[in-house]
Amino acid sequence: MLAVAAGVSWYFASHQRSPIGANITVYYTKDDGTSEVPWTVSMRPQQAGESASEHLNNAVLYAATQAVAGPPSSVSAVRFPPGTHVLRANVNDSTATVDLSEEVKNQTGGVLSESGAFKSLVWTLTALPGINQVAVRVQGQTLSTLPGGHLELDEPLRRSDW
Amino acid sequence: MNLTSRCAVRIGSALALLALLAFAQLPARADDRLALQVGGKTVVLTHVRAQGAARAVAADDAGVQALLAAIGATLTWQPGERYVLFTTAEPVVISFAIGDPRYDVGPVKQTAPFAPFLLNGHPYIPLDELVHALDFAIKADGSQLILQPQLASLDLQASDTGAKLVAHAGIPLDARVSAYAGNKIVITFPGVGSMLPSSRMTAGPVQRIDVRTQGTVRQPQTQVTLVLAPGVSHGPGATDDQRDFTMAFNSAAGSAAAQPVAQAAPSEAAETAPPPPAATLPAPAPVQVTGVQTQPQNGSVLIRIAVSGNTTYEWHRLRPPDNRLWLDVHNARLAIPPQSQPGSDPVSAIRVHQENPDTVRVALSLSGFDTVDVTPNAAGVLINVGATVADQTTAARAGSGTIGTAAVADASSAPDAWKFSPRPTDAPYVPANPRLIVIDPGHGGSDPGSYRGDVVEKTLTLDISKRLRDILVARGWQVIMTRDDDRDVYAPNDSAHDELQARDDIANHNGARLLLSVHVNAFMNAGPHGATVYYYKPGDLALAQAVDKRIAAELSLKNDGIVKDKLYVVHHASMPAALVETAFISNPDDRALLQSPQWRQQMAQALADGIEDFAGTAPPASGTSGQ
Repeated sequence: MLAVAAGVSWYFASHQRSPIGANITVYYTKDDGTSEVPWTVSMRPQQAGESASEHLNNAVLYAATQAVAGPPSSVSAVRFPPGTHVLRANVNDSTATVDLSEEVKNQTGGVLSESGAFKSLVWTLTALPGINQVAVRVQGQTLSTLPGGHLELDEPLRRSDW
Repeated sequence: MNLTSRCAVRIGSALALLALLAFAQLPARADDRLALQVGGKTVVLTHVRAQGAARAVAADDAGVQALLAAIGATLTWQPGERYVLFTTAEPVVISFAIGDPRYDVGPVKQTAPFAPFLLNGHPYIPLDELVHALDFAIKADGSQLILQPQLASLDLQASDTGAKLVAHAGIPLDARVSAYAGNKIVITFPGVGSMLPSSRMTAGPVQRIDVRTQGTVRQPQTQVTLVLAPGVSHGPGATDDQRDFTMAFNSAAGSAAAQPVAQAAPSEAAETAPPPPAATLPAPAPVQVTGVQTQPQNGSVLIRIAVSGNTTYEWHRLRPPDNRLWLDVHNARLAIPPQSQPGSDPVSAIRVHQENPDTVRVALSLSGFDTVDVTPNAAGVLINVGATVADQTTAARAGSGTIGTAAVADASSAPDAWKFSPRPTDAPYVPANPRLIVIDPGHGGSDPGSYRGDVVEKTLTLDISKRLRDILVARGWQVIMTRDDDRDVYAPNDSAHDELQARDDIANHNGARLLLSVHVNAFMNAGPHGATVYYYKPGDLALAQAVDKRIAAELSLKNDGIVKDKLYVVHHASMPAALVETAFISNPDDRALLQSPQWRQQMAQALADGIEDFAGTAPPASGTSGQ
């Protein structure tokens, strides 16, 4: 009886469907530095052998990569410094952790660029089911702020921080 | 055994060894090498495998990394991960996944000839599909393979006046434009081949597009011929953001698009009257009216009535045609000579006098029934007379309020035990030294902040901060600057954490009334301009609002308002704190303002006024002396 129950719960755990839909919403920050504009990208369906938690991880990775890339260059948006890209991303409870490449340190000063870029990342990832904050790493390290920067990065960021 | 046979045996052994080596290679087929010419350099891909008629390449191959670096693209993949993502310079995200033939190029879903697979820990993905998605093609030039940039898209987008052509390629586009009879335009793009259809017909201002590639594999050029509808004119064509080529088409022929002339707002004459001396005696009842200042700005007038102490006021106004307004400060003595002088439009005259032994009256003659905004604060009352006409049926014609209150009341001494103990986050802040204001000139020393040419943020913030300090000290405040020269506050080349915490520590350990961090904003293009005041904690809001209001009122500069943001220096200050981004160094007009000493003085004046609107006038010194 117990074995059957365990077996059933194993079955449901391993065949759990991801709550992520066919599309995910990515945000960019307009060049006023504060307004968030959503756009939609198509999300690959959960694959055979891909658990719901791996699919959520992959959705976070994909969404973060899209948000850091930003919209096409013809759109006037606040952007991360050129070359900045996502190295890895993962999910722990409701926190998405995103590790950025060191190009992110090449910011040229000013709260508007720096803060607007991170705001779009936080809005994008917290739009995914179950994610409510984003921890930022740079080349695996936790920083208080970027060098010469302003925005606090040593605690996970939430939408309510703006 | 003779010499010949010995040699034969040796050769035979060698052959056998070679055969064995060759045989040993067979079961595990080796990866192929593929040398590619990328912009004059040779990049060798060492992990390439035939996959049916297609080619697979390991995404983490060193040659692929070199190729990506050469064209400004990046890879996101970690060992064991299913997703293999690329970001192009455009930027477009290209997404592959192990086991799934679907791949995505930006918003477009595509299907590869085979599903990406893992082999020896390397993720193999379709090579030609990747190269194509990066807007390149692999072309043979004799025995050599060339990575040739491609003209990847020619989009005709509808615009307000007609249409816009946007051409995009794997490299930033350069173009030559020639116009011919018959309303024909030829755009030549050197250095790129094309993967576009050779001809297409369209509706609208452009009727036909022909695409033809000439030249060699190494030095291709692509010609795009456009046939325009009769009467359609075209713009000169330009490369925007150093990448895409765009050309505008105007259906209404002959209407040259006139650039609106950017016009700086004329700077009004600065009000040079010195600020009223702050009352330095404990104010027993009655209170004193210590100054009345008039500041005209962009058609409206701000009248600042400085009052020392806590009291009440009331105001009244008359309907047209008798457009007078008066404000009575109760239980007050006039500490300055009575005034009667002409004002500036829309205030035609202003009079200040002792109306009766208990009342000081400020009377205004207005040019019409103008909008009037009366706002009390800790330091007195502000009357803002707007240039627009108020609705007589709904506009208030009288009001009353309280002057002083919260900020000055905080001047009571705080228990010493507070000073170095952690502050409960939701308890109201009580400053140990209510007369102390900490000014933080942003950046400094090894950290220049933002800069354009020789205009450097750390120098500007220090200059504005020194001016602000001088004004506040003249008004009776004690001021500590986190730095008063060009240096790091913590240590040269320190971490951002140490540097910012050191600035907060100065304010926290001294129990300051408030902290104001002075900065200069920057953006990646010249567009954004104006001043922004940032806050984070609930207790910061009123300070940010007061400072922002003064910047808006006193400076001819766009006001971008107040913005909540988790800025380290604001968050970690125990007291009300704000960070003011005075203007954009990246905007030419703002940069000109930042370079003007008069403007920096006006900014310092506005910051000082905002601080006093929030904190009231300086409380009397109690043993400690000003800087």
